[in-house]
Amino acid sequence: MIPLLATAPVYGLPSYLFVSALLFAIGFFGVLLRKNTLVIYMCLELMLLASTLALVAFSRFNGTLDGSVFVFFILTIAAAEVAVGLAIIVALFRQRHTVSVEELNQLKH
Amino acid sequence: MADTLFLILSVLTVATALLVVLNKNAVNAAMFLLLSLVGLAGLFVLLDAPLLAFVLILVYAGAVVALFLFIIMLLDTTPGSFKAFTPLTIAAALTGAAVLGLGIWSLVNRAALPLAPGSVPVPALKQYAEQLFTTYLLPVQVVGFMLLVAMLGVIVLSRKHDATEDAP
Amino acid sequence: MTMLQHAILVLLLPLASAAVIAFFLRKQGALASWISTATAAAIAAISIILLLHGERFEDSVEWLRFGDFSVSLGIKYDDLAALMLFIVGFVGFLIHVFSLGYMHDDAARARFFGGLSIFMFSMIGIVLADNLFMIFIFWELVGFSSWLLINHYHEKQSAADAAKKAFIVNRVGDFGFLLGIIWCYYGLGSVNLTELEKLTAGGAMPCSGWIPLLLFCGAVGKSAQMPLQVWLPDAMEGPTPVSALIHAATMVAAGIFMLCRINMLMLPEALNVITWIGTATALYAALCAIVQRDIKKVLAYSTLSQLGYMVAAFGLGSTGTYALIDLPVSTVATGVGAAMFHLTTHAFFKALLFLGSGSVIMGCHHEQDIFKMGGLRSRMPVTFFTFTIGVLAIIGLPGLAGFFSKDAILYLAYEKNFAVFAVLAFTAVLTAFYMVRVWKITFLGEARSQAAAHAQESGLSMTLPLVVLAGLSVAGGYSGVFGRLAGSVAHLVPEAEGSAHTTILVVSLAVMTLGAGAALFFYKSAATDTLEERFRFGFSWLTWLKESFDRAYDYYVAKVQQRFAMVLNFLEQIVLAGAIIRGLAGFVNLVGYGARALYTGSLHAYVFWFLLGAALLWAFAAGIL
Repeated sequence: MIPLLATAPVYGLPSYLFVSALLFAIGFFGVLLRKNTLVIYMCLELMLLASTLALVAFSRFNGTLDGSVFVFFILTIAAAEVAVGLAIIVALFRQRHTVSVEELNQLKH
Repeated sequence: MADTLFLILSVLTVATALLVVLNKNAVNAAMFLLLSLVGLAGLFVLLDAPLLAFVLILVYAGAVVALFLFIIMLLDTTPGSFKAFTPLTIAAALTGAAVLGLGIWSLVNRAALPLAPGSVPVPALKQYAEQLFTTYLLPVQVVGFMLLVAMLGVIVLSRKHDATEDAP
Repeated sequence: MTMLQHAILVLLLPLASAAVIAFFLRKQGALASWISTATAAAIAAISIILLLHGERFEDSVEWLRFGDFSVSLGIKYDDLAALMLFIVGFVGFLIHVFSLGYMHDDAARARFFGGLSIFMFSMIGIVLADNLFMIFIFWELVGFSSWLLINHYHEKQSAADAAKKAFIVNRVGDFGFLLGIIWCYYGLGSVNLTELEKLTAGGAMPCSGWIPLLLFCGAVGKSAQMPLQVWLPDAMEGPTPVSALIHAATMVAAGIFMLCRINMLMLPEALNVITWIGTATALYAALCAIVQRDIKKVLAYSTLSQLGYMVAAFGLGSTGTYALIDLPVSTVATGVGAAMFHLTTHAFFKALLFLGSGSVIMGCHHEQDIFKMGGLRSRMPVTFFTFTIGVLAIIGLPGLAGFFSKDAILYLAYEKNFAVFAVLAFTAVLTAFYMVRVWKITFLGEARSQAAAHAQESGLSMTLPLVVLAGLSVAGGYSGVFGRLAGSVAHLVPEAEGSAHTTILVVSLAVMTLGAGAALFFYKSAATDTLEERFRFGFSWLTWLKESFDRAYDYYVAKVQQRFAMVLNFLEQIVLAGAIIRGLAGFVNLVGYGARALYTGSLHAYVFWFLLGAALLWAFAAGIL
């Protein structure tokens, strides 16, 4: 494949980082604003994706491979985490018959 | 051309991410997440990491989001609504924005960021494998173990309790 | 086995006996009594061996060390210690034998004998100690054993109160004692007795006249001198063997012994104070003894009086010769001789008198009022005979032990201080008076109660010690016997010469006949206290005198000390318990409440907090915070 960034680009590392930060922020606000547990979980995944983007960008611009390799790990962990998390949510739904975060507040003092 | 591509892909990613957050329907949100993943994969390709882009689509879009969709449809929830904009929420929003701006500003102004990409060859699978099985061997093993644990956990968690169920 | 090992053995045997009784033999009273008595026999035997062997030695081992300061435990076995050890061991053994009979029917026999063993251990510790710290440690132990033994009948509130009183009053004296020891260590650099002798040899003055007075405070407490004499009459709540051993023969004599040990620290001013305190105590106690109805109380006041004699003798002995450095040392230490001589003879006849009274009390089925006794001469002949010898010894019949020792003291007073001599002579009159009073009312005449009418002589275990002690009361004063016992201390006893000798002889005979005659005259019928009837005013004045000290102390404790304690309690409640303790707890409580408020159960709230934390961390990392 042709290295697409061989020529000097206008949008360099800061731009990628800006996009990553924006994605992260959007994910974060999603966690804050939504009441559906599953959607909150999806926004969590958005945050993870933002971090992978930042990693790959750094890896590319520093010329090393470490960041990209790390993305592999992140993907694996994200997959496992989603599996377990969704299993928990399903179990919780069986008990409480709701996935709205506002009704799942039994841990208050 | 890379610049235009970058613009398009980044707008796609960010816009669909925004729609994930703003959409009331959970299934719609999942779909938009999917689109966001596509955009992200494209960005990876732009960053000379096509392998990662493929892996992203395979794992994330193919498995994770599919799982999400299964669960959403299994749980049959009513259309959600947004949390009311309490003063606390607004305060949190402002704090988050401030953090974001702070982070970007400090990053851009203080970090010595390499601006020009060198002419690096596109890494092939072989190089990834080399790294994974020499420098990062231990994390690989640990991650494998963790996957086993996750599998076991999921099996245990999703067992149906035939005996008395605790009252909610 | 060397003599040093003998000495260590004699110290540790009673401790072992007490430990065995305390750990294993709480319920087996008979076995405990046998073990304790066997131990006492061993102690008596070893003390005699040590005495006859003639070797005098000294040794010590360091126990604690804090930088420059060290406390060592050691044994100083010189003639003084030899004499005292013999008295404690032998009289102690006889009293153990007596207790076998006296406490035979007591339920808490094991505790009693365990207490006796602990007492022997503590007392021997005082006798053998070679430095003031060690004396103090065993001093307190003796106070503890005294408390334990007075408290034997602890179901009786009066016994518990008396034990408490004894311990607390002793504590007051011990406070002065401790101050004296600390000052001595601080000023002179050592508390080891031999070192102190070296430091003050040749007339070198101890650095302050307060040191001997403070050390004397310990003797004031332990030997019940004024103003701390209030505990000894109340201590008669303990069983009679306890009164005989502790409060007549040995423990109260520990104060005198300690004074003799610190003889080298004395100054003329301090000795003057000591003399007058002793004399005042002697007179006061004799006056109080006249109006007592309880046989043990009479003997208690008699003990107080005789202790006053000993203290006065000690104080007199070294007056006036300190300034003359070229006189031989024996003149300076004369007070030691007279005091120890009287201590020895007093141990013999006072123990005899107490054990005799115990035999009488046992015979009359625990009746202690002398006006309910009488006519015991025919019913308890051995007791009567030995008790008579004891009475004759204490009033100073020529030929008996008490005569020689009392004469020595009177001679000393005659030579040194005529005012003291006059008071002591008058006290001797009173001594003869109240002792003959007790003797006559208890033994002669007709039985005045059913109990006395059916009295029986006590068993062999009780009468045998009486006989032995009577023998010692007769023989103990002769220079052959006392010289053998006391070694070089006997040389320090003043011997009257020439005209002074005749004067003293005449005076002592006169006081004895005067007092005895008055008693026999007053109590011819002995049905009631004729003195009370005849001299009602004097009698009530004497009774008031006896109670005055107790009243003064009660007033002080109730009005002054109690109020001060209440102020302190108030402060403690407000400041310590309230502000500091509950305040701290309240503060932690508040923090807990604050932490609990974070648990809203709402996921969004937690995410908010997470955001805040992340923001702070980032600001910190960026260098803004």
